[in-house]
Order: sequence, then C-alpha cells, then structure tokens
Amino acid sequence: MIHAVKYHPTLELLEQYIEASLAPQVSLAIAAHLDLCPHCQRMKMDLEAEAGAALLSLPEAQTAETDWQQMLDFITAQPEVAVKAEQRQPFTLHIQNSEILLPASLKPLLQTKLKWFNLGGISTAKLAGEDQHNVSLLYIRKDSEVPQHTHLGLEITLVLKGKIYDESGCYGEGDLLINTPDHTHTPRTKSEDCLCLSVLTAPLKFKKGLTRLLNPLQHLFY
Amino acid sequence: MLDPTSVQRHDDRNYQRPDIQGSMSIQPPDNAQWEQALTFIAADRDKKAYSQLFSYFAPRLKAFGLKMFGNEQQAMEMVQDTMLNVWQKARLFDASRGCASTWIFTIARNVRFDMLRKKQSRKDELSADDLFFDGDYPEQEGTDSNEWDLWLLAEKVAPHFAKLPPAQRDVMEKVYLEEKSHQEVSEELAIPLGTVKSRIRLALDRLREAIDDPRS
Repeated sequence: MIHAVKYHPTLELLEQYIEASLAPQVSLAIAAHLDLCPHCQRMKMDLEAEAGAALLSLPEAQTAETDWQQMLDFITAQPEVAVKAEQRQPFTLHIQNSEILLPASLKPLLQTKLKWFNLGGISTAKLAGEDQHNVSLLYIRKDSEVPQHTHLGLEITLVLKGKIYDESGCYGEGDLLINTPDHTHTPRTKSEDCLCLSVLTAPLKFKKGLTRLLNPLQHLFY
Repeated sequence: MLDPTSVQRHDDRNYQRPDIQGSMSIQPPDNAQWEQALTFIAADRDKKAYSQLFSYFAPRLKAFGLKMFGNEQQAMEMVQDTMLNVWQKARLFDASRGCASTWIFTIARNVRFDMLRKKQSRKDELSADDLFFDGDYPEQEGTDSNEWDLWLLAEKVAPHFAKLPPAQRDVMEKVYLEEKSHQEVSEELAIPLGTVKSRIRLALDRLREAIDDPRS
C-alpha cells in the first residue's frame, strides 16, 4: 500500500497538531496521514523534541512548597499501573464490496456498522461530527466526477485508497489535501475506485431552508 | 524491561539540579540525568529519583499549563495528572525514542487534551492516546531523501535562510556553509547528535515550504 506521499500537512499545521491545539477532528486527519507517511512521523518526533526542550527552558511557576509536597506525597502513594507499549497496526475493513487496509487512527471510529448515503457514483458514511466538524468516509467509484463545489469552511481530504484527480494534480494514498473557501475544484476518479477520509468544518449557519435545498451537495458532504 | 535487581542502589546518588540560568540555548540542560531518573523509577519505584524529577518538572509544567489554560486550577490539575502518569507509567519511557523532556511534554499534551474533552463531556471516541500516538509505527519503505539538500544551493533559498529559528539556523550554517559534519557540529554546540539531525530536518522542511509550498 506504499505510495510516495507527495502532499503533506504544513509544518505550521503539524506544530499545532503536536500541541493539540487543532480541532480533534482535524487532528484525526493528521493522525491518519501520519500513519501513512514516514516523513511526517519523523517531523512529529522532531517537533515534539523541540516542544520538550522548550518545556525545560520555561521559568518555574510559583506555588507554595507545602502544596508541591502535598502533590508529591499523593502521587507517590499511588500504585503502579500495568502498562505496555502499544502497537500501531493498520486494519482491514469491508467497504463497498472490497477489503480495504485502513490506518490505525481510524479504528476507534469504525467500531459500528457504517451507514452509507449514495448519490450517483459517490457514497458517504459519517464517522463522527461535533463542534461543526464533520468526519466522513467518501467512496468514489471509478470514472466518477464530484460536481464542482466550493466550501464555506475548510475541507481536508486524505486519500486512503486509489487515486483522485483535480485541476491541480493527482493524489494517491496518504496524500493530504486542504481546501479553503477560496478553492473551487472538481475532483474525479479515473480507472480505479477511490476511498477518502473527509473532514469538513461547518459552513456558516444556513438560516434559510431554501439555501439548503438549492445546495444538494451540502447534504452529500456535510 | 529492566530487571529491578540489576539496578544498583543509588540512595547516595546526587542528582544535580541543572543550571539553566543565563543559557540562551533551548537545548535541555541535562536530559541524560532525567532519563536515568526515569529508569530508576521504572525499575524500583524510586521515590528519591522521582522527587528530584518532580521538583524540576512540576513548576515548569505549571508554567506550561498556565500558558495553555490561563488559570491556576486547571494548570495544577494538569501538573498533577501529568506527574502521576510519569510516576505510574515510567516503564513506557523509551530513551531510544526521545528525551525525557519530550516524553513528559507528550504526556502533558495528552492530559490537557483529555481534560478539555472531558470538560465538554465528549464521548471518548477521539482520545489523546489515539490521536497522538506515541509508539513505533510499523516499518515502511524508506522515503527519506536528500533531494532537498540540493535546493540549498539555489540562490532563492538565501532570503529564507535568515528567517529560520536561530537554533536551526546555527546548525544549518555550520553544516551547509562551513561544511562541518553533524558530529563536529554536535561537539561544537554541545548538543546531542540527534538534535543536530532533527534541527536540520526541520530547517530543510521549513525551507522547502518557503521555496514553493508543495504542501497545501
């Protein structure tokens, strides 16, 4: 399943990721990209090392010595817990009549049966959504085109299987695309089906029902 | 996993408190000392080693917590949870994966994330342990490449070079302009070899972005 990943999160985004200052759903897309990208795994470790070094050089914050002592006594009175180093392994899932190998990050969200919503050559299944961030799988059959659309929020797409093309290029497994409201694109597949993880930040509130009706894609993607 | 009996008694060992006053470098003062402390804690729940580690890290974690939360109560809760994890899970620390300070940072980060989630009463389907995996990824075919080194020869790099964070720029200057080996730079700046390498990687990535932003 190895494909040389070409499209990565920016360093700035990775920095925010390792500080956990991104929305959890956005962090999920980054975590799944990391599962597929040795280059960014390395960057993550390097950035965490820098953050650790920065922690060491912070000035001490003041607290009464007795309070520290109390905390120390409390902690050292606690029993050891059984721990073992985790393994990070991809897993397979039966999706749209094929077995697909998926990044380990997605496992917690795929414990229940998926409910697919189909429209033409495209199917979506919602994995999680809260705080105006929606996470879904997007399955696009070969030779299909996603109608041209823009986004009112941020759209993050991680290719999990197959290839997808748009006006700016071709994206394969592990590639992470980020589209802002300024982008208009028409993603399409060619000779193979494509599975993507899609994270959308919510558009501004649609106060008028008509707006929603006029925009069927809204229903498909969000 | 260490066999506790293989570790010597160290009651008389003196953990020097590192002096970081006046140091401009962001390099940790003495991570090796804290690595050793974690080893002792993992091996036989060494309270003395722990208490020295605690007195160094707790006030700094608090400063970090104050920065992130902006209030004393949550900052202290983060310190306690983080330091409790250090005490209870010291066996998970793996020096081959990074410094003691790196490990403690990742714990604090995860604690903070889970505190925020809990406060919002979220289901824990997106937990810090899953989102910020801290173990070994399965081996993949190497994709490391030095192709970006070549970019450094290009004139267009120059203006961006000056904008690198000082710690990375220092290392890059020595390696690429003075043509020193990583080992020489490590000795000259008195920083670990791994740090030299990681700063080079970070700087190269930053320069790559600055040049033509292929990441989007």
